[in-house]
Amino acid sequence: MLRICNIGKSFNNIAVLNDVSVHVEESSILGLAGPSGSGKSTLLRCIQGLEKPDAGSIKYDGKIGFMFQDFQLFPHMTVLQNLVYTPTRKAASEKKQQYIAKANTLLKELGIGAKAGNYPSTLSGGQKQRVALARSLMIDPDLLLCDEPTSGLDVATISDVVALLRKVHKRNVTIIIASHDLDFLVEICDRIMLLKSGQIIADVRPSQHTNTALHLKSFYDFSCDDAREQA
Amino acid sequence: MSKLLSDVFYIGSGAALTMELLVGGILLGLALGVVFAILRRYRWARPVICGLVSVIRGTPVLLQISIFYFILIPALFRCDLGIRATGIIALGINSAAYVSEILRGGIESLPKGQFEAAYALGIPPFYMWRDIILPQVIMNVLPSLVNETVSLLKETALIATIGGMDITRRAQAIAAARYEYFTPLCIAAVTYYALVRILEFIGKKIENRKLYAENM
Repeated sequence: MLRICNIGKSFNNIAVLNDVSVHVEESSILGLAGPSGSGKSTLLRCIQGLEKPDAGSIKYDGKIGFMFQDFQLFPHMTVLQNLVYTPTRKAASEKKQQYIAKANTLLKELGIGAKAGNYPSTLSGGQKQRVALARSLMIDPDLLLCDEPTSGLDVATISDVVALLRKVHKRNVTIIIASHDLDFLVEICDRIMLLKSGQIIADVRPSQHTNTALHLKSFYDFSCDDAREQA
Repeated sequence: MSKLLSDVFYIGSGAALTMELLVGGILLGLALGVVFAILRRYRWARPVICGLVSVIRGTPVLLQISIFYFILIPALFRCDLGIRATGIIALGINSAAYVSEILRGGIESLPKGQFEAAYALGIPPFYMWRDIILPQVIMNVLPSLVNETVSLLKETALIATIGGMDITRRAQAIAAARYEYFTPLCIAAVTYYALVRILEFIGKKIENRKLYAENM
């Protein structure tokens, strides 16, 4: 279980996260929704340790995988090297073969088995997404953090991402997804939190609403009006 | 004609010292330059590295060679390391300042996400630099590094001031002995130019060896 207690984070005196507390159950899929700048990426980055919160605590024992919005594959390595670099760095030679086999199986499962020898520059956005996912799965994470996994992808590829994440979820991996794509989040998540100005303003379970996206959008409208009034 | 040939041979044999200084200097420069560029990213080391780079870039190489030969090396090692070793140390440290700035540009132009991806995958700093960051940076700054090597080749001529018998010094020796400048100086110039063309050729070969297709 991931416990986030009262964390706060500010950049240049602007609060990006303000007293956020979340408990995430094992093997659940949590969505973080909210407009740009609402703090959802910062929350993910704090969980991974890429940012240090100014206040509060984050408790989690387990391996964490992180999928970056722009993938951040290593461009000078082939797809296979991207996958096996971390696990094989200090492995013995027979173990290395196992990791290579594992990587090839993963790539096949994700439908990009033929691309193992390619460099990332030769792949499409959807293929890079799959490689990024495969790379984060190589370390057998217990928790997978996905930052905007659907940004820049077409509708067909987005439904592929849903299918892929469901596959990952079947391995008992807890997943947290930050995205502004409400329909996507509703389709895949057990629970969705809406962030605004660094605070959680809604916490819903799609199973309990007939139209979660619409319900959440009402918060968006509210927040838009709010913003207009403030302006 | 035989006089011309013997001049060419005499001056050309100075290329051995020139190349030793160049190869030694650029290897030392690269090694120290990488260390400087990486240390510069750590707050505690930054003032030291910045100060060092500023002083090295702010004083003439000619002066640096003399300072190393007459002051620093005798003071530090209590012996004469010889012209060649002194030259390599002085030119290498000078080059390191420029190489570190070239690398810094390359490091800062890499997406921050590459460092974060390495961190998220649990890659320790040494391996991150060696396997993830530096290979990309060096490919990206290769033209500037070739440029630095060519500059250093020409700076090796300053070794003449502490008595190194390199291409330039040998040409000057002939000129001084015979009061004849045109031939020896032309031979020296042609020799340098030929060496520069060889360096450029090697640089192009390395650049064309695409480490990854079409650079991202």
